Amino acid sequence: MSELLSVRVAAVRALTPVVREFTLVAEHGRLPGFSAGSHVVVHMQARERKFRNAYSLLSDPADPGEYRIAVRLQDDSRGGSRFMHEQVGVGDRLQLSPPANLFSLHSLGRHHLLIAGGIGITPFMAQIAALSAAGASFELHYAFRGGLTDAYADELARRLGERLHCYDAHRDVFLDLPALLAGQALGTHAYVCGPQGLIAAVREQALSLGWPPGRVHWEAFEAPRPGEAFTARLAASGQDIAVAPDQSLLEALEDAGLDIPNLCRGGVCGQCATAYVAGDVEHRDSYLDPSQRNALLMPCVSRGRCDTPLVLDL
Amino acid sequence: MSDAASSVIFSKPVYSDALSSPTGARRRLVVVQDARLSEVAHLVRALQPETAPIELLSLYGGLAAQIVQRSFNDPDRLKAGLLGALAAEAVGTRLYVCGDESFLWRIRGIAVRAGLQDDELELIRVGSRRQLYCVHCSTLQEISDETEIVCANCRVRLMVREHFSRRLGAYMGVCIDPDHPHVEART
Repeated sequence: MSELLSVRVAAVRALTPVVREFTLVAEHGRLPGFSAGSHVVVHMQARERKFRNAYSLLSDPADPGEYRIAVRLQDDSRGGSRFMHEQVGVGDRLQLSPPANLFSLHSLGRHHLLIAGGIGITPFMAQIAALSAAGASFELHYAFRGGLTDAYADELARRLGERLHCYDAHRDVFLDLPALLAGQALGTHAYVCGPQGLIAAVREQALSLGWPPGRVHWEAFEAPRPGEAFTARLAASGQDIAVAPDQSLLEALEDAGLDIPNLCRGGVCGQCATAYVAGDVEHRDSYLDPSQRNALLMPCVSRGRCDTPLVLDL
Repeated sequence: MSDAASSVIFSKPVYSDALSSPTGARRRLVVVQDARLSEVAHLVRALQPETAPIELLSLYGGLAAQIVQRSFNDPDRLKAGLLGALAAEAVGTRLYVCGDESFLWRIRGIAVRAGLQDDELELIRVGSRRQLYCVHCSTLQEISDETEIVCANCRVRLMVREHFSRRLGAYMGVCIDPDHPHVEART
């Protein structure tokens, strides 16, 4: 894996009661450039444990002097978003994995239909900058709860004018997906980032209207949901590793000193696919197909069961 | 050229015999070289016109079926008609093209430039005619399944390579023998 980047927090802004924006600058030298839609994994050293959460870069890719991320405080936070909200201030140091992009704009798109739900707005902030710079045709549909998850609504209204369409659930204004997806000109690509329910609704609606899957792009950075505690066993050494209820298997393996390649830490990119030889698996990823699941699992989100050890081919 | 050798040419198009039936397609455009061919009647039946609207655009001829159809009798007028039809379509429309290989790739080029992707169109090949591009003089010429030919323009003896250019819709013809490029000795 690439070396981690050392960054310093240059500014913190509270955008809403649950969303804070962090501006990060390089400790030494320059930050690597990135393409619109990229994310970084922030490595946080809390008192008892480490957190590694993926956040989209929302700053302008044309301005590589700083990175900006926005963190929504999760109600059922496993600790990462709470740490960022409560422990991280101006001047603090953080470590990041270098940017990786799993949500890039399609170069042949003739029109870009961007659909954001709540904190899912973040990758679009960078994409809007890139699309505007390229003079590309696009529109943004932004669904949120006013006063809570509408972090960038005012700024976007100034930047985008009529290209911005807002849906505030607190005012009972909702996105009409069938109407939105039914009339899009040939050559349109759709992008959705937000809660799983929104992503699933866009994909299903698009499919039923005949959109080929390649025209619908989505990104779900869901923090791994907690589960039961279980034991992972390494086949090569026989070592047993305990996985706590609020810990992912990937995190437990990393804490045990194993270096597992990974990018999204959310079950979508496929990087961390790991072979297993015995045990029941609760597959929670969006990457493996059913036939692959007999032999592989994605430790960033998927879990074993409490009764028998999960034996990994490691 | 043996089958084993031709099968390793990545660029050579493979045409499917069976139609895929995309879920949910709202409208279908069918563009054909000659609507009188039995393959066209078969294609339109397979697309089940009763399930979703179909519009047939043909270069030549008509089809005895209760569907919207237009015949253009001229390649440029067909192109203009297709561009006009595509401009009115929304994502979800599928395009089916039926004709000889050079027709298929000409229409595919028009459609892709108008915004369609390859997973939104299907090419149904009829007959064995194909186009050859002479890499020495850039002339396009119709061939069948020959493996050698003399270029109609520059008279260079060409080997028909199985490499296929999607942009040109043609196979590549290259000089067989650079020491003796022409059929007849030049004086």
